[in-house]
Amino acid sequence: MYRTPAFVTALLFAVAALFAVTARESARVRQTGSGPSRAGGAVERCVSCHVRPDEDPGGAHSRAALGCASCHLGNPLAFDKERAHAGMEPEPGALSTVASTCGRTGCHPREAERVASSLMARGSGIIGVDRFAFGEIPVPETADTMARLISRDRPSPAEDHLRKLCAGCHLGTRRNGRDDAIRGNGSGCAACHVARRTEGEKRPHPPVDSRIGDDRCFGCHSRSGRIALTYQGLFEVEPDQRRTSGTETAGALEDGRPVCRASADVHLASGLGCVDCHLHTDLMGDGTRPAHKEQQVEITCEACHGPAGPDGEAAWREGTDPVTRDLLRTRKESRPEDERVRLGRRGTPVWNLRPSPGGKGWVLLRKSDGKPVAVKPTPRDRNHGLKGHERLSCSACHAAWAPLCTTCHTALDPAGKQWDFSASAETAGRWTEKSEGFGAGRPALGVRGDGAIVPAIPGMLMSVLPAGGGERTVRLYAPIEPHSTGSRARSCASCHSREAARSIAGELPWEGTRTGFRPLSAGEIRKVSSVAENPAFRAECRSDRLDSRPPTP
Amino acid sequence: MDREDLTPAAGSPAKPSGSFGRLSSGFLAVSLLSGAALVPHYDPAAALSSLESIASGIPLGAFLRGLHAWSSYGLLLALVVHAVEVARKRTEGQLAAGVWWRAVALLPLLVLALLGGFVLRGDAEARAAADVWRGMTSSIPGAGPPLAALLLGGPGSGLGAAALHHAGTFSILLVILTVEHARVVWPGTRPSVLAALASVGAAGLLTVPLGPPPPGHGVLLGPWPLLGLQGMLVDLPAAAGWIVPLAGVLLLGSLRGAAGPARTAALAALAALAAGWAAFTLRILVLAGH
Repeated sequence: MYRTPAFVTALLFAVAALFAVTARESARVRQTGSGPSRAGGAVERCVSCHVRPDEDPGGAHSRAALGCASCHLGNPLAFDKERAHAGMEPEPGALSTVASTCGRTGCHPREAERVASSLMARGSGIIGVDRFAFGEIPVPETADTMARLISRDRPSPAEDHLRKLCAGCHLGTRRNGRDDAIRGNGSGCAACHVARRTEGEKRPHPPVDSRIGDDRCFGCHSRSGRIALTYQGLFEVEPDQRRTSGTETAGALEDGRPVCRASADVHLASGLGCVDCHLHTDLMGDGTRPAHKEQQVEITCEACHGPAGPDGEAAWREGTDPVTRDLLRTRKESRPEDERVRLGRRGTPVWNLRPSPGGKGWVLLRKSDGKPVAVKPTPRDRNHGLKGHERLSCSACHAAWAPLCTTCHTALDPAGKQWDFSASAETAGRWTEKSEGFGAGRPALGVRGDGAIVPAIPGMLMSVLPAGGGERTVRLYAPIEPHSTGSRARSCASCHSREAARSIAGELPWEGTRTGFRPLSAGEIRKVSSVAENPAFRAECRSDRLDSRPPTP
Repeated sequence: MDREDLTPAAGSPAKPSGSFGRLSSGFLAVSLLSGAALVPHYDPAAALSSLESIASGIPLGAFLRGLHAWSSYGLLLALVVHAVEVARKRTEGQLAAGVWWRAVALLPLLVLALLGGFVLRGDAEARAAADVWRGMTSSIPGAGPPLAALLLGGPGSGLGAAALHHAGTFSILLVILTVEHARVVWPGTRPSVLAALASVGAAGLLTVPLGPPPPGHGVLLGPWPLLGLQGMLVDLPAAAGWIVPLAGVLLLGSLRGAAGPARTAALAALAALAAGWAAFTLRILVLAGH
């Protein structure tokens, strides 16, 4: 044991080790940053190296306040890059790690929990409708979620369709799992709260805040019902259609889809963005698990324009929504406890809507800059009190137009390949969508389960060729708030004539994409049509206040 | 060699049972000296941060930490081999009964010291190990909860108690009991130099883990000498955490004075225990995806 060979071996071993130690020591000296080693009162060595001003998001999430690891994880105590970056989250806010980042205790745990149950994370509505369209379920309702769907081993045709065409907008799909136009958005919280990144762009650390620009909504909501396009007065066309339509072209979107110009929503003209109207519960949910988007959306036209219902207004002291209070606090705003506030359908305060200084009417504060925008109250005139119009939603008359896709054909090419958002790679089978051209015009009207009459568009009018199956043709209409609001409502004649009454019912027969959603019945169409033959009709109709122009565009 | 030859005269140093007793003393010396050098830089109130500072913020800090860790692991290995030497050469009779039992206690004391050192890391694995340690100790009937508080402090009280016992209580007892049964203070130049060279080699070429476990590892692993215990506790109740090691210590202690079939049975039981320990170590490593 203590003879020379053992000592020589140990000595060689030690000498080799000393060389390794010397090399490691040089690397240590090179890697140790020269900046501070604390951030926000805690040891945070990330800021020793990440000292450039453009690496600071600023605001409430500034590097000096939170450091880096609060959002990016990793090992904030380590000095060397490799160990410091071990376990790092490159996409803070991603739902898979949100409990350790945005949703950690002391930050936004309540919001993170709500988002997880919201439709933008679960996607239950689109899953239910798609599987219904494919004939896989008898009603367009499901409790299934996108997270479960994309982890399933053997997807059904509808599930494969969703994984390849729809799952990219699911909040749980990471940025590096996408191949489409919304790649620039992060996922989870970052999808809305962090500015988009353009491909290949080198840029400073983006700010992280609650001032959400419309560009972040645009990526997802320029598809399907296309409300983000419509709001901006854009409608999608086929490439050859742009040349022949005669309408004003507006170039192409970032993802190459050509668009034409139509009338924008009147709220856009007032400088309002998406989040100026939409409440936090509309976007992040309220902890419940709604089946479809109209169940999650809480804001109503009446909340701002009135008349407010019996539960539509309260004093601030009666408000209990903690997230609204947090929002006001983070914006360094407060409200007198006796000030009145309008409420959404489930009682959430519309916190940026305040009584106007004169005490008459209301002003809406833009969330981006706090600038007040006067809100016009719903006129108390005959047009808004017409007998027989009680069931009409505001948008049934005020939606100027909606995108109409009446010739959509969806088929599966088994030999093709397509990006699969569940695998983050191309997999076998390609879904193709062909149309003879998009349309834009007055939306049809349909009847919801609760009897309300709302705009409806033929969003799912298509022929589906599921893998290995025969052609299945379905004609589905979806209820929609088109977001093309005009200050003038549609004219009386646009509904009340024999031809118009038939046309507003859509291409009959159709099925609704919601349980209970149906076309106008023959009796209802007859009733609408017969109004035109009533001698009192012309006297009743105040056409000077209505939009008698042909549908836009 | 006759047992009588190995039995020293009263008051004189014990006759070595082999080389590893002195080598373990050498490792103990290196471990104590390197540990003492770390003490000024370690802060139990900011354990992980101060260890990161030691590892990367001060010159040769990682080397010094490695020297302490690997010399301590070397001490454990040398001590186990020394115990095997003693059992093989039947030299336990050199020691009076009390001294023998206290010498046997060196093994659990060293394991506790190592476990304390692991807990002092303050990272996720260390916190998990502290919870397991507290749970095992608390399961001792009657004395469990106060003993757990003595060793680890009250729940949520930080690492002060563990640091005190690691650097103080356990280290002092290790020195006292080692000197008591070896009857020498200085193990000799050759064992000390060999232990130092081996420790320097390991510290320079191998890194000691610290910080978050690598991504994708669902099971947090405790110190490697206790992985067998961790594998065992996947299915067995927490009390197995002290009953099984206690059984091993009692079996080892019972070798003194045991002869014939009783000694063979005790050795067989110890061998079975070691095999089981190895099997459970393998099991937990597989579970952790290694």
